[in-house]
Amino acid sequence: MARYAMVTDLTKCVGCQACTVACNSEWEVPLGFARTHVRYTGVAGVFSNLVSSFYVAQCNHCDRPACVAPCPTGATFQDKDGIVKVDRNLCIGCGYCVEACPYDARYINPVINKVDKCDFCSARIERGQEPACVGTCTAHAKFFGDLEDAASVVYKLVYEKGARRLETSQVAIGPNVYYLGKKGNIDLVLGTFPPRRPRMPQPGEWWSKVVKPLVLTAIGATFLGQAVAFFHQLRTGEKEFED
Amino acid sequence: MQSKLSRREFFRRSTAAGAAAAVGEATGTGAVHPPGWRGTTRVEQIATNCEMCFWRCGVLAEVADGKVLKLEGNPDHPLTRGRLCARGNAGTGLLYDPDRLKYPLLRTGQRGEGQFRRITWDEALDFLAAHLNDLKSKYGPESVAFFPHGVASEFFHTLMKAFGTPNSAEPAFAQCRGPREVGYALTFGQGLGSPEPVDLEESKLIILIGSHIGENIFTSQVTAFAEALARGAKLIVVDPRFSTAAAKADWWLPIRPGTDIALLLAWVNVLISEESYDRHYIEKYAQGFTELAAHVREFTPEWAEAITELPARQIRETARAMGEAKPAVALHPGRHTTWYGNDTQRARAMAIVTALLGAWGRKGGIFLPTPLKRGTFSLPPFPESKRGRADGAGTRYPLASEEQGVTNGLVEATLTAKPYPIKGWVVYGQNVLESIPQQQKTLEAIQHLELMVVVDVLPVEQVNYADLVLPEATYLERYDAPAIVESAKSPFVATRFPTVEPLYESKPGWWIAKELAKRLGLGAYFPWETPEEHLARSIQPLAVNPDVLHARGAVAFEGRPYIEQRKTEDGPLFPTQSGKIELSSPLLKQLGADPLPRFTPVEDPPLGYFRLLYGRTPVHSFARSQNNAVLDALMAENEVWVNDVAARDLGLGDQQRVILENQDGVRSLPVRVRVTKGIRRDCAYMVHGFGHQSPQLRRAYHRGASDTHLMTRVQVDPLMGGTGMRVNFVRILVA
Repeated sequence: MARYAMVTDLTKCVGCQACTVACNSEWEVPLGFARTHVRYTGVAGVFSNLVSSFYVAQCNHCDRPACVAPCPTGATFQDKDGIVKVDRNLCIGCGYCVEACPYDARYINPVINKVDKCDFCSARIERGQEPACVGTCTAHAKFFGDLEDAASVVYKLVYEKGARRLETSQVAIGPNVYYLGKKGNIDLVLGTFPPRRPRMPQPGEWWSKVVKPLVLTAIGATFLGQAVAFFHQLRTGEKEFED
Repeated sequence: MQSKLSRREFFRRSTAAGAAAAVGEATGTGAVHPPGWRGTTRVEQIATNCEMCFWRCGVLAEVADGKVLKLEGNPDHPLTRGRLCARGNAGTGLLYDPDRLKYPLLRTGQRGEGQFRRITWDEALDFLAAHLNDLKSKYGPESVAFFPHGVASEFFHTLMKAFGTPNSAEPAFAQCRGPREVGYALTFGQGLGSPEPVDLEESKLIILIGSHIGENIFTSQVTAFAEALARGAKLIVVDPRFSTAAAKADWWLPIRPGTDIALLLAWVNVLISEESYDRHYIEKYAQGFTELAAHVREFTPEWAEAITELPARQIRETARAMGEAKPAVALHPGRHTTWYGNDTQRARAMAIVTALLGAWGRKGGIFLPTPLKRGTFSLPPFPESKRGRADGAGTRYPLASEEQGVTNGLVEATLTAKPYPIKGWVVYGQNVLESIPQQQKTLEAIQHLELMVVVDVLPVEQVNYADLVLPEATYLERYDAPAIVESAKSPFVATRFPTVEPLYESKPGWWIAKELAKRLGLGAYFPWETPEEHLARSIQPLAVNPDVLHARGAVAFEGRPYIEQRKTEDGPLFPTQSGKIELSSPLLKQLGADPLPRFTPVEDPPLGYFRLLYGRTPVHSFARSQNNAVLDALMAENEVWVNDVAARDLGLGDQQRVILENQDGVRSLPVRVRVTKGIRRDCAYMVHGFGHQSPQLRRAYHRGASDTHLMTRVQVDPLMGGTGMRVNFVRILVA
């Protein structure tokens, strides 16, 4: 059991978007979409006493994720290490979780018509690599690790250096992406991009967005399940051969 | 050219150690598996070096079935340690750009029309050899000018020298680094080179004058910059614009454009009058201090306040911060430094501040390059040119580099046929219409040519004016001569290797140059058969196993970056005429120039006009990446930054479309306004490289506006021929 977390140091971040491109390329995110993206607060203050900041947005893998409950099929779930994941086999692309996420961290991938988002690069972690965004960050501003592990860099940044969660009195669901920065900058980020209140589906949307696709999905599910099993076998089989 | 190592061996050598170092720390997982899979596909990782810009970051291309699936940073690379910027990560967007040049093309229509006919490589090379020989016999070999750029141009350099022309010039000098190289060489006896040896890692204070690290991304420089700030280094940013770096600064000095020399002189005044300079260092290493002290006596912060519009108090405070942090003060020498035509003198003033702080050759300041030996082939002697250079390097521009040349000097010579006619241009790796200002002049010069050849990857503007277009393979598809980089703390050798076969009929530059040489009867200048052979000889004195270099992409050596580590073989510490740091320059005196930098006012924008400033964005390189689908998705067009108060006076709203019209009535394409508090009222700023005019760049065509297009005026630096480009003014018209 781990409690994975990420820390982004906004005093270091230069907003270069290397993270965005590395992530898009790692996960074959369609052009124009992103699992992580960089936003700019714009300039506040009075000339020449100005302030501005970048904000690196992604899934926060919240302690109490707002996206799990609205998912009608159970596709969105939280694993034992705290990582919020989407099971593509179960996702019907209804988009309720996209609406629910206070951080706008999810999108519907138009190529596969499923929801997609950051999963802390689980596949890379399993291979012993860093998440793509962390490894490529030109400013060395992103850190990943286990908050249960006192030797981890994120443990130090959160519990010793005071990295903060982007929460408000309105929305506090325990995000596990933390930010380091001058107070003025973090406040500017929170003021410019406040987490919004999660939105739950309205009854009228239930039929068109959920039941209908579910019926259609059920028809294809048998075939899909077989395909998944096949690929899984293929992959593990090859791995044994390799190692 | 695939690695001869087995995959397993390859991983053992190249990946595991670096990955363990990088991963273990962050994840604490410890277990490291070779990342040999992408989804359900088994991939091979091939090490090479990036060329999305010229910094040469280390790349691992993940390849399956002859296709690059993903680019990763190479954790083994001594400079970048696994990090890659947005552009580096987006390299496949160039490799698989559907608009790439695919076949050799011969012009059929008028110049500029873009009408071509596909021909074979044999036809193309025969055509080119025949025409080059024709120019040689009619006008002499010097009538052919060469416009190269980058490390990849080495083979063409050899070819042009063998052909007999001394006329080669790259924008890296007269449109970019020239003034700083000359200004620092005048002071310390040697320039800086690239990457510039700024010891950000160890600095206690960083000073940026117009440099916008963060928007201008050279991966390792950004890493060092950010790490320094996190470590507590202080930061002074001098910039009329609230840049990314300015937002991180302890002191942001929004200087009136064109007055940097006044600020620098006032800093020198404070350092000397308060005796906070490094007296011991200056006494030991410098000459001309008495003259300098007398020279700056009158240049007080109060004097500078009236000129720079910066408070005298702030000038004094920042100078004191330097005195306290010395010698660990990293005054960044800048990179694009051709601003106002007095740029060599500004670089001199920066060099003098660096010297007074004792920062040259010291930890946290500017470190010293470590010489590396390069293997060479024994070639026949290059023919001597009797007529000398046509671009004025060494003559009209006495301090211009003869190695890098003066591009605008060649354009001028082509236009005027003085000192002699230039009738052929060979362009490789640069876009003469976007990199050299005064496009109209360049276009007119092209009309004087009998032959224009462009070797390029993409159908950029200049391609439409060429008689012959040769499609080059991208950096992911070719071998390039090894980069032997001395100006790194750990100097290194890095090599570009093909990761996949060249697409279409594109060919690597080395092949094109070698084949052309054969047809010109100059084959003896290319006495090697394969790139492997060329590499083995080039790195022979470094005692590096080519297989190891191939597997790792780069190999580093121990450096001697600081004065106390220098050895006799490194040569004199200050290879000036006097053997000392020349605070006052005898050479400039001899040339009739100011031996000590002096502030001379630059022209202010007329009423209703803004000074046009330009710079970079992290997600594009020059004018060469706008057609890349991945980067286009992040930034499809540029914006013009306008101060909020100025915008209100003009009735402009944020994101409104406008047209810029310069002092000569030249208009830009429509461009969106960014209304911001983050820029002074007297200037407008835009990112360079947009507003492409070539319709074959289907994605980038007419997106945003080109700053180069608006540079109808330049102020040429009389010492080195650099084109000062921040002397253009624009007014803003509603589109």
